[in-house]
Amino acid sequence: MLKNPNWKSIGTVLGETFIDCFYFSLKNYKAKKGDIVTTDSKVPSSEGKIIPVTVWGKISTIESSNAFFPTEAAQELTNEDIDIRDTILPTTRDELICKVVILGYTKDEDKSSKLLPLIYPVRPAATVKYPSSEDVEALLISDLNSSHPIYIGSLLAREAVKIRIDADNLVSRHVSIFGMSGSGKTVMVRRIMHEMLCKNYPMLVLDIHGDYLGFIQKQKELYPENKIKLFYPNLSVSSEDKEIIYTLIDKLGKPLTDPQKDFLNSLLEKVKYEGGSLLKYVKLLNQRAREYASEGSTSFKNIRPASMYVVARSLGQVAKKLENMEQTNFRHRKKMSKLKFVELADPATEPEKIISKGQLSILYLKGYETLPASAIVSILLENLFKHRQEVNEEIPPFLTIIEEAHNFIPSRSENKDDLPSVETIRKVITEGRKFGTGIMIISQRPSRLDETIASQCNSQIIFRMVNQRDQKATRDRSETLDVDDSKQLPNLANGQGIISGQVVNFSLPVQIKFDEKLINEDIGNENFIDTVENWDDSEAVKERQKFAQDFSDISDMDNRSAN
Amino acid sequence: MSSEISIKDKIKRNSSMFVNFVKSAVTASPKVQNNFLDVSAKVAETVLKIIKDADLVVDLNYKGKEFWSQNRCKTACFVDGGVDKTSIISSAPLSIRAGSYVVKPDATSKREYFEESMVFLGDLYDPKNELYDFIDDDFEEDQMLNKKKDGARIIFEAATIVKHILLNKKFDYCFLHGPIEGTVMPFSVPGFPTFTKFAVENMFPFAINKKTDVAARHFINVYLEALNYIKKGKFPIYGIVETSNSAPYVKNLLYNYKSQGKISDKDYNNFIKIIKKYKITDSHLLEIILSSGQALKPLEIKKQIQGFTVTAGSSWEDMMESFPKVFIGYIKTTDNNSPIRIESLNNSKNLIKDYEYILGTSRLLPNYGFPVGLNVVDKFAKIPNWMSKASRKYYATHLLRQAVKNKDQNTISLAVKILSKKARSWRNRPIGGITK
Ligand SMILES: Nc1ncnc2c1ncn2[C@@H]1O[C@H](COP(=O)(O)OP(=O)(O)OP(=O)(O)O)[C@@H](O)[C@H]1O
Ligand SMILES: [Mg+2]
Repeated sequence: MLKNPNWKSIGTVLGETFIDCFYFSLKNYKAKKGDIVTTDSKVPSSEGKIIPVTVWGKISTIESSNAFFPTEAAQELTNEDIDIRDTILPTTRDELICKVVILGYTKDEDKSSKLLPLIYPVRPAATVKYPSSEDVEALLISDLNSSHPIYIGSLLAREAVKIRIDADNLVSRHVSIFGMSGSGKTVMVRRIMHEMLCKNYPMLVLDIHGDYLGFIQKQKELYPENKIKLFYPNLSVSSEDKEIIYTLIDKLGKPLTDPQKDFLNSLLEKVKYEGGSLLKYVKLLNQRAREYASEGSTSFKNIRPASMYVVARSLGQVAKKLENMEQTNFRHRKKMSKLKFVELADPATEPEKIISKGQLSILYLKGYETLPASAIVSILLENLFKHRQEVNEEIPPFLTIIEEAHNFIPSRSENKDDLPSVETIRKVITEGRKFGTGIMIISQRPSRLDETIASQCNSQIIFRMVNQRDQKATRDRSETLDVDDSKQLPNLANGQGIISGQVVNFSLPVQIKFDEKLINEDIGNENFIDTVENWDDSEAVKERQKFAQDFSDISDMDNRSAN
Repeated sequence: MSSEISIKDKIKRNSSMFVNFVKSAVTASPKVQNNFLDVSAKVAETVLKIIKDADLVVDLNYKGKEFWSQNRCKTACFVDGGVDKTSIISSAPLSIRAGSYVVKPDATSKREYFEESMVFLGDLYDPKNELYDFIDDDFEEDQMLNKKKDGARIIFEAATIVKHILLNKKFDYCFLHGPIEGTVMPFSVPGFPTFTKFAVENMFPFAINKKTDVAARHFINVYLEALNYIKKGKFPIYGIVETSNSAPYVKNLLYNYKSQGKISDKDYNNFIKIIKKYKITDSHLLEIILSSGQALKPLEIKKQIQGFTVTAGSSWEDMMESFPKVFIGYIKTTDNNSPIRIESLNNSKNLIKDYEYILGTSRLLPNYGFPVGLNVVDKFAKIPNWMSKASRKYYATHLLRQAVKNKDQNTISLAVKILSKKARSWRNRPIGGITK
């Protein structure tokens, strides 16, 4: 029974009331936007009785105005330099009108405090009360009714009220996390990951910036029981991935004419590959293309050797690009010599190396361009999903966390529809409920995400967002985000987010708990000034500088006028 | 001659008299139109001459900052009433309230407060007296309704001031938005309902021991009681009226002069005729005559005049003489507004100081030029929409329930009438002619 005679009264219900909201006039400084308030009411029961209930609501807006101060009075005050407090003008009549969105009611005589939908408006002129933090928290917990609640932070308006979300919905019904850069998305994800690691739930993180390397650094200290693996991608392909290979070559290489494309297709048919590194395969294709061209092969109908050379050159370019990306990724890894990176296992044959109970797998994608990264992710998820679909499941359910999701699932209007990851993720997310392949999407630019995928996310956590288009996209794709809450988006501070959807039952502004322990120690936020301070020129630069002065002297002398 | 020209110019340039005349010029005869400027200028000039002769003009002193630092220790109370605007039929209840805004700028605690001095939602008037003889004519009915609302508001405002006096409030000033003594003539119509016993006893506790029979509960009697009480108040109490549609001050001034033999009866009578013909009011004339910061000393004027058609021959005729006389003066507070009328039941001992206070508080509301505290309390006293809606619903439901319970044909008709008032068509018009 959630009813306490000690709850303070903070205002009075005004005028007309409805079953979804009411307005009340608030006593000064007694509550904030986002606060949970109550009012006593009565509702007719199904048996025709009238039962006393407590109605719960959330303050969604507060407006303050001094309707009694005539604006024109300001004229005389300014002109004559009069202090308003010397005059008879009212100075204390700031009226605070709050709009309360009704969350539901609890029956006063009931032990269980599940919020029921209100079916009868609250009474005008009733007292509005401020329930104690413990009672609000108790209500939220019992209303959430979750077998696996996880703690993520506190109610924005009241630090003492802890907020928990439902992990079961989180892993099966998908979550999107939006907000501008630096608003607190990654901090939030790390909080969730921490909780899920403690539950031994397998996770796969696609990490572009190395935001999650802190988990590896702290593994021994914080997660001694868990396996945390750090993978670097190897673009390994099997013969089944023909379509992806074709797209990659087509997009990474030179633009090809139709006959050239025909040749590339035939080449892919002809040059058998038993699976393994994509780079090796591309190099092999390049070599074969050259051979066919120089032989003046006639086994390809209507294709002249010149076209074959073009395709060969394009393949060479693709190989070069792939090599570069591998190199960049390698260089970044080398900087973090303390961390142990392993090559990504083949998801087709050894999925258990990537997904297993209690394991967190981080795929470090830094250095890869969008298309290859998309291909890597597509092949990886496609295979893992297949394993979940099979009758004898080889891997447990798992959660995939996609950072910078606009790279993998761009909206159609971005004209990157043929990214292979779009199709794959669409499939995984739609069938996620059945097969336990939950997805968490993180992005700064919700307006640039694939609409179908984004709207499959049944829960949202939204951080500060200033861009109008992103705000609109967020509202459009969420059924549960409270309109008044969403107006707050541009003004949220770091780590303040609005959480809505199936993980919480109703939209709540939350201050996310910041786990400082989980940030990366040496590769956290980029600090360019420190970098310059500790800058040491590379060997090559030093070498060049060694002789630079000499060469400069020579050229100076050369230019001297002869006299 | 030069003064004549400047007055004509003044009239043309910015006076409300000219605006008013232009508006009604359509209906005035060509001759009246032609003569308007000359006549009105001459009238203004003559009135100014008399005012000067009587030494009525005073120059008020107001220096913004200085004024307020001298007056920050004064406690002022502003009173206004509000009635709901939604029209319901005359037998329905009224939602009505009167509020006070009390402020003392330099108070150490609670420098200001608002008070809902009187609130009412229900039957203020005695239903026994009218329930069964309601008028079936919409126009007449609306007229009666408006009178009832006015009467109720006036009584509530008076009751609020009475309450402050009863409670011995230590005010330096009390201001009422509107006349300190309203004309009671409209309420003398036959059939005007009486207040309930409950209402009278609650509004005017001092009346409890007196007789509260039906006649004593009529508006006119109750109001007279209240005014006599207000007259005894220990602090200055003023009614402030923004514009006047009549010319009581000018007429009385000339009447006094006639009585003193300074003007002939003939001239006086002609003058009164002219004022009527050209629709000249106190506001019009004084707007031209006074400049900003000037005031007219008050004249003692009879508000309730015998011999009007409505009261004539009625039982109220004799009552009119019993009403207190009113002191009426004017202050021109800003350049752009007509002078405001200042009414009180007593002749003030500190008239100039009082007027300067009114001027000072009006300067804070430059576009309207009347005391800002009245603007503040006006907003406070307004009946919010939801309140009047609620009162109508409450009453109709209550009536209908009664009707169904008693199977009383009359009550049923009345309830139906109220409920259907909003969108009435000939089809759902209630059946007239209630059988007794
Ligand atoms: N809940 C929080 N409490 C306190 N500070 C926070 C919180 N969340 C974020 N911050 C601060 O903001 C910084 C940026 O947060 P975070 O890295 O989560 O941003 P982001 O939304 O992931 O940005 P980007 O889109 O650029 O990756 C953090 O390093 C931290 O200093
Ligand atoms: Mg981030």
